[in-house]
Amino acid sequence: MVTSQVVNTYPLSSYTFGTKEPKMEKDTSVADRLARMKVNYMKEGMRTSVDGILLKNVFTKFCIRRGINLQVQEHNHPHILLLQIGNTFCKLPGGRLKPGENEIEGLKRKLSSKLAANSPSLQPEWQIGECVATWWRPNFETTMYPYCPPHITKPKECKKLFLVHLSDHEYFAVPKNLKLLAVPLFELYDNVQVRQGSVVGIVAT
Amino acid sequence: MDDANAATGNGNSHQTSLGDSSVLDVYPLSCYYFGSMDSVPFKNETVADRVLRMKANYDAYGMRNCVAAVIVYVSALQPELVVMDKVELFKHPHLLLLQVQNSIYKLPGGRLRPGESDIQCLKRKLSSKLSAGEDGRGPEWEIGECLGVWWRPGFETLLYPYLPPNTKRPKECIKLFLVKLPTSRRFIVPKNFRLLAVPLCQLHDNDETYGPIISGVPQLLSKFSFNFVEP
Repeated sequence: MVTSQVVNTYPLSSYTFGTKEPKMEKDTSVADRLARMKVNYMKEGMRTSVDGILLKNVFTKFCIRRGINLQVQEHNHPHILLLQIGNTFCKLPGGRLKPGENEIEGLKRKLSSKLAANSPSLQPEWQIGECVATWWRPNFETTMYPYCPPHITKPKECKKLFLVHLSDHEYFAVPKNLKLLAVPLFELYDNVQVRQGSVVGIVAT
Repeated sequence: MDDANAATGNGNSHQTSLGDSSVLDVYPLSCYYFGSMDSVPFKNETVADRVLRMKANYDAYGMRNCVAAVIVYVSALQPELVVMDKVELFKHPHLLLLQVQNSIYKLPGGRLRPGESDIQCLKRKLSSKLSAGEDGRGPEWEIGECLGVWWRPGFETLLYPYLPPNTKRPKECIKLFLVKLPTSRRFIVPKNFRLLAVPLCQLHDNDETYGPIISGVPQLLSKFSFNFVEP
């Protein structure tokens, strides 16, 4: 077994965040998105997409009142970086592979496009780790499963999630219309309001 | 058979850089032999009794460490439709589960003895629950990687797939390991347990029937692509 079980995470403070020009979503509604998927499927076959799971440790300090005393509690808990569009829609950084594109190269391309500054001197060296999950979309609907459902011979999409190892200092530049959130694992677990909550919830394991 | 390959493979025609550790060989159910042995007593206790027992054990031994085996093989599903007079049998991975009484499902495994390692305990439990005896006369079990860890922060709390923040003294830790099956195997099961092969599609999101650990197994397995080996 070559896979490493320990993932290094660094405190949020060691990362620098900037902004860049907005990156608009291609679709304005779920229906539009599914319609566009159908068109692409006719042209190119099954859609393969890749997403990156970027983990970082966030050190939080908070005070609680216990009787007459004020206690300071601190905890370190891994958080995942998510991109938030609008007010409620969250997703992992990533996207669709071009036809014939290698998964790892595609993920690096997507991560740079969503998270890296435009100037070539500030491009991070993305360290892509193991694939931690594969999700399948059997029909042109929003439901996805962690296996290809039986009786499905022509899945419409296959999405692979990869762990991305962050170095101790990175410079991220996020499109102005998106927000980069660091969401703790306990908030993702069982939280179906976060889009792809089920896709992301697996990482907690 | 190209269509079937698209469904069972990972759909990506490129070599991934993951190496062989992400491909699992699974063999058809027909390669395995199933027999039975004497019943193994199952602790039938109330929830309150169980909490008391866990507290007593915690005071004596500290955090309860458990291991569980994730054993996968393939079984053809009953076809629901007959298409053009040809019956398609779709291969779908199944998980081996022990059913105790009508509604309790468990992964083969159990609690570590003091000083025992995870792997030793798992082999011991697999031998005692699934083969002829605990004395190691049975064949060797090939234990693979750790797929996931579940934590219980308090005696009466739920299990979580992460250590909740501010948990200073977790009460239980359950580690799930992949167990690779050889091409054929004799399974001998205690009479009061039923050994089931449950398809992943039935487990997914089915917390009410199987509990969070078992219903979460399909997600843990999704990183593997299954190589269905014909006997």
